[in-house]
Amino acid sequence: MKETSLHELMEKLMGTEIKAELLRLFHMNPGILDTVEGIARRIGRMPKDVETEISTLVELGVLRTERFGKLDVVSLNTSKDKEIQNRIATLIEGGGKR
Amino acid sequence: MRVPTGISELDAMLHGGLMRGDVTLLVGCAGTGKTTLALQYLVNGATKFHENGLYITFEHMPAQIYRDAASFGWDIRKLEAEGKLRVVCTSPPVLVQFVESRNPIDAIISEINAKRIVVDSISHLESFIPASELRGELYRLISHLKMKELTSIFTAESHEVLGNQLVVTGVGLSFLVDCIILLRIVEIQSNLKKALTVLKIRGSDHDKQLREFEITPQGIKIAAAFAQYEGVLTGAPRRSFTEEAGRAWAEAFVRKRR
Repeated sequence: MKETSLHELMEKLMGTEIKAELLRLFHMNPGILDTVEGIARRIGRMPKDVETEISTLVELGVLRTERFGKLDVVSLNTSKDKEIQNRIATLIEGGGKR
Repeated sequence: MRVPTGISELDAMLHGGLMRGDVTLLVGCAGTGKTTLALQYLVNGATKFHENGLYITFEHMPAQIYRDAASFGWDIRKLEAEGKLRVVCTSPPVLVQFVESRNPIDAIISEINAKRIVVDSISHLESFIPASELRGELYRLISHLKMKELTSIFTAESHEVLGNQLVVTGVGLSFLVDCIILLRIVEIQSNLKKALTVLKIRGSDHDKQLREFEITPQGIKIAAAFAQYEGVLTGAPRRSFTEEAGRAWAEAFVRKRR
């Protein structure tokens, strides 16, 4: 991940209500292995509203998608997620800029 | 070869436990303890029998499973961290794709060397898979689990809380599975009690009694049979007319005549 400020990183991760809900869902339930439709249902949203936000989190590396038969299945990328959490902690300790 | 559930009274009823590689259907209406019994099977496997397990849930969120299990003293997060148990929350269409090669669920089974699996609940497949394809898909899933030598429990919802009807699915699932354990609510003297019975085990004898059970802070605890009642499965049992009761009635009748 390229050098970013804490604000930029937090904006990418939690810039919308749905992204914040998705992060909360996956952190509380790391065993979720589901389709976009299934995930949307779990947070009480419509798939069309969730799809783009999931793509952003996949680009960031927090989530990952795998082709599973005819389905794309989304899950938490635990190692990358840990890395991002460590980066946030470092940025907070460093006063927001690194 | 038997796979003990770790619930000693149930293992005695099963003559030692479930048969290795079999698929068991655990049927009951809401609140009968299907999830508790299924989790206890996995936790006991991981902690007492060195058999790791996978719990697949469709509706319950893992966070809820962790919380509910903690109330029985089962630390699922710790077992997950130790690689002994894994909770996967998914949708029925994903489970059906499980039979595809190189899939994430198979990868988890290999990763933790799972020997036990629970699917909670198989009834949800009915909402996602066309009725014409359901039996075939279930057969494929069961065959896949058997090929992996997993000893499986599928929970299934029965819609009848009380009464004498029992419909599990409309696709003959009870014929596809090897063992059926039935959990029911019964009314005895204006109290709702829980009852358990083993309906079938393919290729083995088993206890045919209907036993009372409770959900205790340590999990499922099975008690004695409902010996003094008959018609318990109907949900509204009546006291059995035993020899002793008959004698007492006859004596009372004779006393009244005098």
